[in-house]
Amino acid sequence: MSLKSVMSAAVLAVALLSAPAALALAPAEMVKLLATIDDRQRNGGDYKALVYLEQKEKDKTDTVREAFVYRRDADDKLMILFSRPKTEAGKGYLRLDKNLWSYDPNVGKWERRTERERIAGTDSRRADFDESRLAEEYDPSFEGEGKLGKYTANMLTLKAKQGVDVAYPVIKLWVDKDTTNVLKREEYALSGRKMRTLLYPRWKKLFSESKGADVWYPEEIRIYDEVEKANSTVILIKSIDLRSLEANLFTKAWLESKSR
Amino acid sequence: MGGHFRLLLQVAFRNLFTSKINLLIGGIIFLGTLLVVVGGALLDSMDSAMSRSIIGSVAGHIQVYSDESKDELGLFGQMGGEPDLAAVDDFSRIKPVLEKHPNVKTVVPMGTSGALITSGNTVDLTLARLRDLYKKRAESGETPGLRENIDSLKAHVRQMVALMEEEMAKSSVLLSDTARSPEEKEALARARSDAFWSAFESDPFGSLEFLENRIAPQIPDGDMLYLRYAGTDLDRFQSTFDRMELVDGQPVPKGQRGMLLSKFFYEQYLKLKTARRLDLIQQELELNKKTIARDPQLQRWVKENQTQTREIVFQLDPIKTRLAVERLQKVLGSQEPKLDKLLSAFFATDDANFDTRYKQFYAELAPLLELYRLRLGDSLTITAFTKSGYVQSVNVKVYGTYQFKGLEKSALAGALNLMDLMSFRDLYGYLTADKKEELAELQKQSGVKAVSREDAESALFGEDSGNTLVAEATPGLINDQDTLHGAMDSLRRDDLTKRVYSQSEIEQGVVLSAAVILKDPEKLQQTLAELKQSATDAGLKLRVVSWQQAAGIIGQFVLLAKLVLYAAVFIIFVVVLVIINNAMMMATLQRVREVGTMRAIGAQRGFVLGMVLVETLLLGLVFGAGGMLLGSGIMAALGSAGIPAGNEALYFFFSGPRLYPSLSAGNLIAAFIIVMVVSAISTLYPAFLATRVSPLQAMQTDE
Repeated sequence: MSLKSVMSAAVLAVALLSAPAALALAPAEMVKLLATIDDRQRNGGDYKALVYLEQKEKDKTDTVREAFVYRRDADDKLMILFSRPKTEAGKGYLRLDKNLWSYDPNVGKWERRTERERIAGTDSRRADFDESRLAEEYDPSFEGEGKLGKYTANMLTLKAKQGVDVAYPVIKLWVDKDTTNVLKREEYALSGRKMRTLLYPRWKKLFSESKGADVWYPEEIRIYDEVEKANSTVILIKSIDLRSLEANLFTKAWLESKSR
Repeated sequence: MGGHFRLLLQVAFRNLFTSKINLLIGGIIFLGTLLVVVGGALLDSMDSAMSRSIIGSVAGHIQVYSDESKDELGLFGQMGGEPDLAAVDDFSRIKPVLEKHPNVKTVVPMGTSGALITSGNTVDLTLARLRDLYKKRAESGETPGLRENIDSLKAHVRQMVALMEEEMAKSSVLLSDTARSPEEKEALARARSDAFWSAFESDPFGSLEFLENRIAPQIPDGDMLYLRYAGTDLDRFQSTFDRMELVDGQPVPKGQRGMLLSKFFYEQYLKLKTARRLDLIQQELELNKKTIARDPQLQRWVKENQTQTREIVFQLDPIKTRLAVERLQKVLGSQEPKLDKLLSAFFATDDANFDTRYKQFYAELAPLLELYRLRLGDSLTITAFTKSGYVQSVNVKVYGTYQFKGLEKSALAGALNLMDLMSFRDLYGYLTADKKEELAELQKQSGVKAVSREDAESALFGEDSGNTLVAEATPGLINDQDTLHGAMDSLRRDDLTKRVYSQSEIEQGVVLSAAVILKDPEKLQQTLAELKQSATDAGLKLRVVSWQQAAGIIGQFVLLAKLVLYAAVFIIFVVVLVIINNAMMMATLQRVREVGTMRAIGAQRGFVLGMVLVETLLLGLVFGAGGMLLGSGIMAALGSAGIPAGNEALYFFFSGPRLYPSLSAGNLIAAFIIVMVVSAISTLYPAFLATRVSPLQAMQTDE
């Protein structure tokens, strides 16, 4: 046996022996992973999506909505404007700085809402439509590896950073090892109670001129309410448009003008 | 036989006042009768007062609602919120069926529900008003009046910002500087600067957004308020329920949308908190004769008035602040220039100065303040979760306040606000066939596959799921302008407030229940059964219940109170029975010699039995009559003077501040029968013992 083959055998042995340890992600790697997840979904410029929302509740007729989601990631701005059914058209949400405003053209009034507000009475929250800010808002820790259907995922537990207002202070995340897309997300209240489970079965990407790279988005999000077990929501992102938006779009005046 | 009986009576009369034990028994019977007469009459009076309260306020005699409901109807709410009722799709279908019955006078459509309303904080509200003015200006140009309003509100906002900065300076002395973030400080400094205000007009909406987003959130004093409402045909409601009376404002015009708030609710939750506390202190001092010096609750209210002055300070614009300072300085004889310090001194009330301060508050300060968070004539925005799960908001104009006579102080009844049926239906959000179809179409277009929760993971992530984590999307060009344009045919709020609805429009549509008023309330049970039958015959799945059942929690409360009272009376009777029984035993034993002698000279056992029984019955008759007489006297006195209701709960039971009980012949007859039966029963055993006495036994007994 030549020295070279001994060396390579040794390298192989070391590699094999240390394999289990290598699976665990170092803190810096995890932060980087989160940053990657965030960055892939971010579009440097503007973003507009046509979204379908369906809410199922026990003993109730399904609630169905279509909405436009507008984002200006550079300024952390978000607006959701409902278009269908007719009775919901013109209602909307506007995130400005730390405020989440809701508007109802039927009454012509703005109301300040919280991060915990259910969007349009569904199980979705503002963050489900907003830009992903995991790295900015949470500190991760590693929980191991797990299988989810045909995928292998890294499991992370995220805890909200101090002073950051989020709907859920603890999140468990399943991130696909191959594609770095989020597959599953469990959200917990401060008390440790599980509140929601989200599944992301389909991801798509689209080349963005303004970013000069691909923008990723989950085409389908399934949300299961863990408190009211019978409740669930499906969000479909039907299409995405990355052209730039009007300058004054993220203002109360603009949203009001849509229903005038 | 006649002579026989006369003899018995003679013996009985002779013994009536000579035997001490008989006097004791008589006394017990006397008191027992008194109790039955007075207690029974009070109980009946309270029962009828309570039922009048409930029947005359919302329940009517009978309530009808869908038999598919999960819960039972609870007009005054129930533990854990509103009962889950299935809707009656169309009131105009059930109304004729009910009205056909000869004993039915009126049928009133109804539905109760509740919503959380948010008030927004003081700054938010002022900014919203300013925004509305600028919108008005953008739409129809500027007028001098509008300009004046705008300038006054702007000055008010500037004043608020100044106050906030002052507060911040104060709190940073107490707390560490980290309580406020640098961004907040920076925003506040900018809003204080002259540069900001001089540039305000060039971009009013931009400036407003800055204030709304950066300044207003810094004072978190917005309130959430639970508003319980009954939607009904307001006209019919008003003419049907005699306990309902308008307190302030005016009734909702016929056929229009609008609300009448409960006076209790309006005072308790919408009044300026300081003024409300002053009112409560005044009421406790006046009505319940409490003193600030001794009552900790009153002391707490005084303390709160002294410390919680921000609500007042923030309400006043610069001109009103100056006026308030001047007036307070005059009243207090003080030179203090700061309003909050003056207020704190002004509200430092004790038993000696309270009346003066109370009057001064309403004379001097109140005219400068908005005493209520919502003025009569203003619109209230109500946002409710509809039956189908989405959120619906409606603006409803508040025309006035009302109360149910006798229920003024009941927190449960006082929580019920009245609303027109149209607004109620909007908030209830019943899906019409059109709407259902639109939703079904949207759902179909989406192509969402149903996935059960249990195997969601394998269905979505498994090999056969057909889902992939990487796919190229086609660049979408979303045309939101076209979609939104023309979709905005949702209800126009201005049109809604002006529209007058016809009676048939009001009656055609969803209700949750209907109140039925009877011509002859005595036939309630019979009518109940007959209405049930005619509903079944008409193919309607309806539940028909009495007012007591419909009143839910309060109905049960009434039932419970009655049970407790009846139980008390029953226990007293058992005790009386035992006492009389014992006393009779003693009396019999005392008379062993007498009885023995009688037997020896030929008295039959039947005669002895009769003697004892007649004696007791006579006792019952004489002392019972005495008790009844006194009882009637007491009731007559109570009936004219009335019994004052000492607390909130009694107001409800008494159906007003005083209960004026009345005595019916039924009460007297019942008392008479009860007394006689009880006397007879309690005597049977002793009388039986007496018949067993043999002459021999009697001779052997020592004196």
